[in-house]
Amino acid sequence: MSHPTRADSAPARIGAVARKEVVDLFRDRRTMLVTLVTAIAAGPVLMLLVLNLVARQVDKARELSLPVRGAEHAPALVAFLERQQVNVVPAPADFDEGIRSGDLDVVLEIDASFEADVAQGRPGTVRLAYDRSRDRARTSIAEVESLLRAFDREWGRGRLLLRGVAPEVAHPLNVEARDLATPQSSGALVLFLIAFYGLFAAVIGGMAAALDTTAGERERSSLEPLLTTPVAPLELATGKWLAVVVLNATAVVLTLAGFYLMLRFAPLPAVGIPFLFGLAEFGRFVVALVPLIALMPAILLYVGSRGRSFKEAQSNLSVLLFVVSLIPVAQMFLQRKEPAWLTWVPVSGQYALLSRALRGETLPLTEVLQSYAVPGLLTLAALLAVARLFARESVLAGR
Amino acid sequence: MIAVDDVAKAFGPRREVRAVDGVSFTAADGEITGLLGPNGAGKTTLLRVLATLMVPDSGSATVDGHDVVRDRYAVRRHIGVLSDARGLYPRLSARENIRYYGALQGLAGDALEARVDELIRALSIADIADRRAQGFSQGERMKVAIARALVHDPQTVLLDEPTNGLDIMSTRALRDLLRELRAQGKCLLFSSHVMQEVSALCQRIVILGRGRVVATGTAPELLARAGERSLEDAFVRLLGSGEGLAA
Repeated sequence: MSHPTRADSAPARIGAVARKEVVDLFRDRRTMLVTLVTAIAAGPVLMLLVLNLVARQVDKARELSLPVRGAEHAPALVAFLERQQVNVVPAPADFDEGIRSGDLDVVLEIDASFEADVAQGRPGTVRLAYDRSRDRARTSIAEVESLLRAFDREWGRGRLLLRGVAPEVAHPLNVEARDLATPQSSGALVLFLIAFYGLFAAVIGGMAAALDTTAGERERSSLEPLLTTPVAPLELATGKWLAVVVLNATAVVLTLAGFYLMLRFAPLPAVGIPFLFGLAEFGRFVVALVPLIALMPAILLYVGSRGRSFKEAQSNLSVLLFVVSLIPVAQMFLQRKEPAWLTWVPVSGQYALLSRALRGETLPLTEVLQSYAVPGLLTLAALLAVARLFARESVLAGR
Repeated sequence: MIAVDDVAKAFGPRREVRAVDGVSFTAADGEITGLLGPNGAGKTTLLRVLATLMVPDSGSATVDGHDVVRDRYAVRRHIGVLSDARGLYPRLSARENIRYYGALQGLAGDALEARVDELIRALSIADIADRRAQGFSQGERMKVAIARALVHDPQTVLLDEPTNGLDIMSTRALRDLLRELRAQGKCLLFSSHVMQEVSALCQRIVILGRGRVVATGTAPELLARAGERSLEDAFVRLLGSGEGLAA
């Protein structure tokens, strides 16, 4: 046998590991299925459902149908409501039950003595019945309340005019509001979902792959022979990391492409929330997510290598991912303005940048660089830790 | 050429399990050296030390003059290891499995492809070369694992219980291959708990018991030393009891 020539170097070995792992992972049906399902189904499909829900609520607000009891006691009020496109219908006898069961959102009851009270100069009484804990009912409730306030104002204004008093006398305060929401910054829930699932794809996209290439390698007892080749632990860790990064990036790009295609081409219901997810947002998302696309595979490899079995590694990873996915949720509920140092924190920083991208802002370079710093260092630390695990003798005992 | 000098390796929280306890021997080029011993005698641990997977607690070992601790990467270029763990990558074909190890050993391009083809021919696995390893039989898996271990044409070959789980035909094919490697002047170290295996193949035999070398020599020398007629009886006599004798 001829003696083979050697053209070997660390980058060549890292490349060999990465190429082999990518081929191996793309052939793994389980890994590909999990990756594709999380990328396509979880994000864009879920958002389609949410958009439809929002659309239904918007429609509902537009064609408000209001059950009224005792309409005959206040014909002027009923006429006002009907002028405002409200469909006034007689209320059923047991409307309390209807509200509790969710069939009715809000019911207006006009007091029997309304006309008599008004004739004697006393305020006429109307009662609203509703269940404010119901999300779906909230728009209807707010609509009816504001209509009643409007009627109250109009009526009072008319009375003042009749008495020769300028209406301004009774309204010394003039409130002018300027809504600074850009078209994109309204529809917070939909925006949150896009940011969350973009983040989610970057966090979870490499999970199946990382598990297969660490715990799976041990379970197939292919790690021991591998460690008798000239590949150094850090080269092995780096090669595997590159392969998982490729998969993770694929998952992120597919998720974002899903959002882009859906918002652009799917027959979306008219939600009245004009927001954008165009190519510019696509690009900004990728820029914001790069540190996570790199960091998460390194962490997943570390956790995956630590587990004594596939099962153990899997459950450890689930805990980790649960904690990570809670961060943006907590951040959304945190209503106050985010402190500046948050850009440095992995996941939080990325979420903040994603939110800005969705509000139609360009990403400031300094903040982008800040958001890269800590994940970059952590990626390096995690890779060194994985290499240390591969160098330990006990790594052989795990099979 | 392998030289092992007083190697010891213990496990456990207080190092109370002395798997290898002061072992010395040499294995020469152009010879098959058999490492014979019952289960738990320390064969696998010793081979793992030589394969640079484990660092000995004391003593030293060299392969072709390279220290297994200080020059571990040089050692890895000189050895081919068929470990107890045969793990192939089930989603890669036989050819891809072999090619991967070749790339890690620093082969590339035409040289790599030529070497992989050469091994596929030598081991007569052309019919399964481009099938995924998923459904391979024990014998097919062993052949691919051997091809993988030999891809860089190593001077020294370590084999841990290579005939485990093989049928007669595969065992014979393996023996023929090992003899051929010996004829090429390679140094082969072969562990087994099966005496027939060792006596059929090995020029020199090192008998291990409880982590120590009990006896070394050629088969006739060992028979003479024990004063027995069969190698099996000699084995039992030399170990001092019938402990853990598996075959």
